[in-house]
Order: sequence, then structure tokens, then C-alpha cells
Amino acid sequence: MDQILIVAVLVSLGYFFGRRAEKKHFISLIEREKVMNQLPAMASRMPPQDNRYEQKLVSGNVVIANDYFKTFVAGLRNLFGGKISTYETLLDRGRREAVLRMKDQAQQFGAELVFNVKYETSSISGQDSRKMPIIEVHAYGTALKKL
Amino acid sequence: MQYENPQIPEDINTSKENPLKEFSVLLVGSIALVIVVSLVLSLGGSWLAGLIPYNAEKKVASLYDVSAHDDNSDHQQITKYLQQLADKISKAQNLPEEMKITIHYMHSDTMNAFATLGGNVFMFKGLLEKLPNENTLVTLLGHEIAHVKYRHPIKSLGGGIAVSIAMTTLGRSADSQILGDTGLLSTLHFSRKMEQQSDIEAMNTLKALYGHLNGGAELFRIFHNERAAMESKEPAEFFSTHPQDEKRIESFSDMAQKKGWSETGTLTPLPDFYRNAFH
Repeated sequence: MDQILIVAVLVSLGYFFGRRAEKKHFISLIEREKVMNQLPAMASRMPPQDNRYEQKLVSGNVVIANDYFKTFVAGLRNLFGGKISTYETLLDRGRREAVLRMKDQAQQFGAELVFNVKYETSSISGQDSRKMPIIEVHAYGTALKKL
Repeated sequence: MQYENPQIPEDINTSKENPLKEFSVLLVGSIALVIVVSLVLSLGGSWLAGLIPYNAEKKVASLYDVSAHDDNSDHQQITKYLQQLADKISKAQNLPEEMKITIHYMHSDTMNAFATLGGNVFMFKGLLEKLPNENTLVTLLGHEIAHVKYRHPIKSLGGGIAVSIAMTTLGRSADSQILGDTGLLSTLHFSRKMEQQSDIEAMNTLKALYGHLNGGAELFRIFHNERAAMESKEPAEFFSTHPQDEKRIESFSDMAQKKGWSETGTLTPLPDFYRNAFH
């Protein structure tokens, strides 16, 4: 009984705080993306040929911890299979935040375009499946500044 | 060349749906799954365990030195008396030849009695000293011996192991020491149905030995009063392995009425040494 109570408290704490943090993060992401979209980041491997550019490797990195609620739902989902929507938002946030940080760096460099953008996603919580997942998302690309 | 990063709509990569909805569907689904799986495994496991020959059960039980845990050697008179009663009851219940009941007297204040694998029946001082007459004692012994007769210990162990394995696989309670010493010596949980079956057998025993049911329901009155004295409320029947005390007391009257058996009759007193045995 005590165990159920502890889990219930952790799940509710995870839900309220995790959801609040997630909402705030999404609002901030949308705001910052609106501004940062002026500096495009492309997956293309071919740099534009029309000008000569100074090139620089830029990268953005973010680490996000999962909350107990998300882990609990994902654990239940494991029994039945199917998409884990609570992790989808987590990874979406990670990718977008990493790109924004990468663009920040590119902007400071004075770049007008980042090309050949790639992502690396990894779990840094180890192999123990009972542990709460912590994800790291790394976005990197080549920033171009007109000479 | 024109490069552009458009704003991507929010609900493509992520779902707008409140995660609480998914949570509740999954929670209800998994609880239902666990209940159904446990029920099926428990029934299947106990059915399979019931097919194990009694001799095999006895062999497994003899791997453990059960006698090392009882106080028979220090209290031979009471043990002998209980054993004689048990033999008499075994006869009345038509126990098969190989089903030999072994009484283990426990000189402990715990108010309990239980039957376990291999026909081993444990009787605790804490309960024995509260019994007013032989009829009530025979009800208690008859009930425990009926558990052995109907193979309840091995059936509940079989069901328990099946559920335990499934739950361990599911990553829940990691009760890996399934067949440890504790498994044999601790009280096994019989289901309510098993308890009812044993109650009825105890009534039959009373009738066979004394010709009436008087003194039988007294056993459950003792339990009831004890619980009231301890101010511990009985758990709701659904959560309990035993039927509620009052229902069990009533079941004696019901049985008497149904079969036309007498509920009154001379009570056989306990032998003189009985009371002294507990000091």
C-alpha cells in the first residue's frame, strides 16, 4: 500500500511539474524559432555556390531529464506496444532546443546560413531500463558567413 | 538560391492530446491484464499442482526438517493428545492411507493454526489455550486436516508460484526465493473457497465424532472476540482470504438446519492436563 502511495505521489508530481515545464518550454521554443527562422539551417550537404564564404562548425547541445509521469506511462505502454506520445514531446523539445542553440552560435559568428545540419540523440542514463531516461540531443552543422 | 526555415505546425510531431487520457487508458488496461493473467495462472497453477501425487508432495516436504521448528519434544503430553485427535479425525474424514497427518505443537502466543505441505499441521499455544472444549478443538483440527485432504497447501503453492513467476517476468515483485524454507513454514494463503470447503468438512467431522454441531461455531466466535479486543477491524471480505467470522458462524446453523443436525448436545471437556500444558 505504501509503495502504491509513493508511486502515486511521484506520478502526480511528475505530471504537474513536468507538464508545466514542458508547456513553458514549448512557448519559449515557438517564440525563439520565429526570430531564428531568419537564419535558415538546412540539411543539404551542398553549400551555395554563388558566393565565397567563411565556414565554421557550429553546434548546439541539450540534455533533458524525463519526469516520473512520462516514464510511468512509457512503462505501461511497453506492455501493449504503440507510440509513446509522452516521449515524442520530450524528443521534439530536445531537437528544437539543440537547433536553436546551434543557431545562436551561428548568429554570434555572423552567419547567414547553416548547412549540412545533423543530429545525434543519445540516452545518457545507461542501460538500466528501470532508471529514468535522460536524453542528450546534439545538433551540429557548418555555418557560412559571407566573405 | 533561396533558403528558408518555415514555422512547423505544432501538432505534427507531437500530440495535442492530454497525456492523462493515455495514462488512464493504459492504467486501467494494465490492471485488467494483471488481474486476468493472475487469475488464469492461479487457477491453472493450482489445478496442475493438484495433479502432483501426494507421495511426491511428501518427498518435497521431507527435504525440510519441519520438526526442527516445533516444540513437540518439550511438550510431549499435549502433542500426543493432539496427534491422537488428529488420527481420529483423519479416520472420520476418510483420509487415504498415505495421507498421514503430523501435528506440530508451537509453544508460542501467536493465535494461529495452519496446515502445510506433506500433511504437517501446526497448532499454536496462543490459540489452543483459548479453546473451551474438545468439540471446538476438533472443529479447528478438522478444518486444518480438511485442507490437507483437499490438497489445499500444494494447490495454493502451485497457484502462487505461477503468479509469482509471471509477476517477476513483468518486472514487478522480484520474489525469486519461491521455494525457500519460508515457503513451507509460513502460512500459505488459501482462498475463501478453500476455507469454506474445509469448514464444511469440519462440520461433517463434528457430526461424525459427537453426533451434533455444538461447540463448532464457538471457534469463530473466539476469533471474532479476539479481533474485537484488538480493535482491529476485519478486512472487507473481498480483500480477505478467509470468509468473514459472522458468515462462518451462520454457516454452522445453516448446515444444521439443512441436514437436520442438532446444534445442541453434550460438550466433551478437555482433559485435565490440557490447561497445565501451556504453563
